[in-house]
Amino acid sequence: MSIHLHFFLLLSLLIFTIGIYGVLIRRNLIGILIGVELMLNAASLNFLAFNRYVVTDPAVGQIIVLFIIGLAAAEAAILLSIILRVYRSHRNIDADSLTEMRGR
Amino acid sequence: MSPTLTAILICTFAPLAAFFVTYTVMRNRPKASAFFSLAGGFASLAAALALLKAGPIAEPLRYAWLTSGETNLFFGFLLDGPNLLMGTIVAFIALMIQIYSLGDMAKEEQGRFFPLLSFFAWSMLSFVYSSNLLQTFIFWELVGLASFLLIGFWYRKPSAEAAAKKAFIMTRIGDVGLFIGLILLMQTTGHLDIVHLNSPETIAAIPGGRLTLITLLLFSGIVGKSAQFPLHTWLPDAMEGPTPVSALLHSATMVAAGVFLFARFHPLFLASPTTIDVVLSIATFTAVFSSTMAMVALDMKRVLAYSSISQLSFMLIGLAAGNLFAGVFHLATHAFFKALLFLSAGSFIHHHGTNDMVAIGRNGGRSMRWTTLGLIVGGAALAGLPPLSGFWSKEAIIGALTVGGVPVFIALTYAAAFLTAYYTFRMICLVLFPNPNGQLQPDEPAPASSGDHHHHGDSPWTMLLPIVLLTIASAAAGYFGFFVDQTLDANRELAHHASWGDMAPAIGIALFGAILAWVEYGRKGASQTGFVSRLPMLQQLFKNGWYVDEFYQRTFAKVVEGISVVSAKIEDKGIDASTDEVGKATIAFGYSSASTQSGYLQFYVATAIVLIAVLCYVAGMGS
Repeated sequence: MSIHLHFFLLLSLLIFTIGIYGVLIRRNLIGILIGVELMLNAASLNFLAFNRYVVTDPAVGQIIVLFIIGLAAAEAAILLSIILRVYRSHRNIDADSLTEMRGR
Repeated sequence: MSPTLTAILICTFAPLAAFFVTYTVMRNRPKASAFFSLAGGFASLAAALALLKAGPIAEPLRYAWLTSGETNLFFGFLLDGPNLLMGTIVAFIALMIQIYSLGDMAKEEQGRFFPLLSFFAWSMLSFVYSSNLLQTFIFWELVGLASFLLIGFWYRKPSAEAAAKKAFIMTRIGDVGLFIGLILLMQTTGHLDIVHLNSPETIAAIPGGRLTLITLLLFSGIVGKSAQFPLHTWLPDAMEGPTPVSALLHSATMVAAGVFLFARFHPLFLASPTTIDVVLSIATFTAVFSSTMAMVALDMKRVLAYSSISQLSFMLIGLAAGNLFAGVFHLATHAFFKALLFLSAGSFIHHHGTNDMVAIGRNGGRSMRWTTLGLIVGGAALAGLPPLSGFWSKEAIIGALTVGGVPVFIALTYAAAFLTAYYTFRMICLVLFPNPNGQLQPDEPAPASSGDHHHHGDSPWTMLLPIVLLTIASAAAGYFGFFVDQTLDANRELAHHASWGDMAPAIGIALFGAILAWVEYGRKGASQTGFVSRLPMLQQLFKNGWYVDEFYQRTFAKVVEGISVVSAKIEDKGIDASTDEVGKATIAFGYSSASTQSGYLQFYVATAIVLIAVLCYVAGMGS
């Protein structure tokens, strides 16, 4: 028996939704970062699944996924350093309390 | 390049080059600035003399400047008789005045003064040599600009600043007429080439009414520039500038430009009898009118300013009477003796620290021998006494007018000649024969400090050299009438040779004026009161310049003020207010939309996700 494409897509959708949920609900900035990482991984999974089942040339999807992994690493590094700076200046990484950029 | 082209380029562009060099890199180096200006002046005089020696060329050196449809505008240089004569005089006088300024302006801001003099010389020379009326007009305006800058040289003095603005605006009134005339001329004949416009065929092709209109409009520009009634009021006020500037302005440049334009379009003007009548009435009236003001003024420069106005009228009379030679000849001799008079006056003023003739006389004016000589020779030439230059040229004008002239104009011209001799010798007598017991009190006494320590001796040689050279020129220029005549038109027979009998009235009238002035101001124990003072009302009228300025202040100035008040209101309440409203609305909208920026990070993310979802949905619907 073979695993159908739909299972992968559903799994990807599930992970992506969890990521969005985390980004929207978590008040901790690190929690939001984890949500973003989940979303990126969901996208990677999507690429691999389509690569495996739809596209004949197997290399393209994998290359893109490698890029996404690199991107995610860089993004995590930058976000963590920003969060560190925010913590140092505010003693706090609660997203709801960081509202200095509001209009009025 | 042909030698002629080289010469004319040097002649006109040497002062311009001097202006650029001195104005850009030598603002703070007065010595170098003066040197380069003088070098430019020398170069242009040498080139002008070479051109004059080579003789007139009827065809202009011209190059297409602008082509639009059928219309071609040619810019270039016209080297015919009047231009060559005038150009040489301009270059000579400009150089003399630059030399004189070395002494007179020694304590002033030379780094600014000399470049402006060069700029003035460039504008005037280019004006004189231009071959196209549009080109003429451009440089005409540049001459006006240069005068504005120089009259307002002492721009920290409010009166100088006001005088500069007045000169600029008053001449601009006439220039509007000139420009309209230029456009009409362009429209009627299709080109603006000076030689072509003066040809009989072109003049014959212009309809009579149109010709009168055009010439009257051109004449309005001349009225402004040459300070004729009713636009004369700027010239006496222009005395606020430094004396060398007044000398340049009054002798060979600025005011001479107006008369020169008339001489340039002499055939065109003569073709319209109505215009000639208007010119003659304005000129003869102005000649007498300005003389009356000169005979009561005590400010030496003011007397000379009024005399310039009346001498310019004389030139216009000569030209309008149909004699090109008489007008141009008087323009030339006047350039010499008026420059001389102004430089002499400047030397007195420089030495004694006052403009007032009575004060200069009492302060020992005549101990300055060379300056006094200049004053006497220049004054006698201005009065028209033989054998000095002014006599020959003025006699030519009167001779031209008396041949078939209207009696009223002749009478007025004689009256003006008489008054000219009278006020000139009044000036000379006041300086030479001071009478401390006389009734005349100086308006502006000499400053006490300038009294003793440099009481004796004369001005420095830089000031005396131009005075001496101009004295020689003023005395001798009268004998070059035949040369002027030949240069103006080689084919014409020599102008009338008047016998002494014909000249008798002119001489008699000038002598009578001079003697009357001596009796009233010069002789021992003279009361030093003029014959006008018997009628105090008339004297007040003359002293206040016939209240023309007051009249303008009460009428035209009020109207203009009213218009500007209304326009200021429109600007303030209409244009300004509406743009303010646009700004206010933008700010209000910004404030109201700012409240959507809550500052909550997750709110922004949620908004972004919703919008992307909507976009994806809409895009999906489309496909």
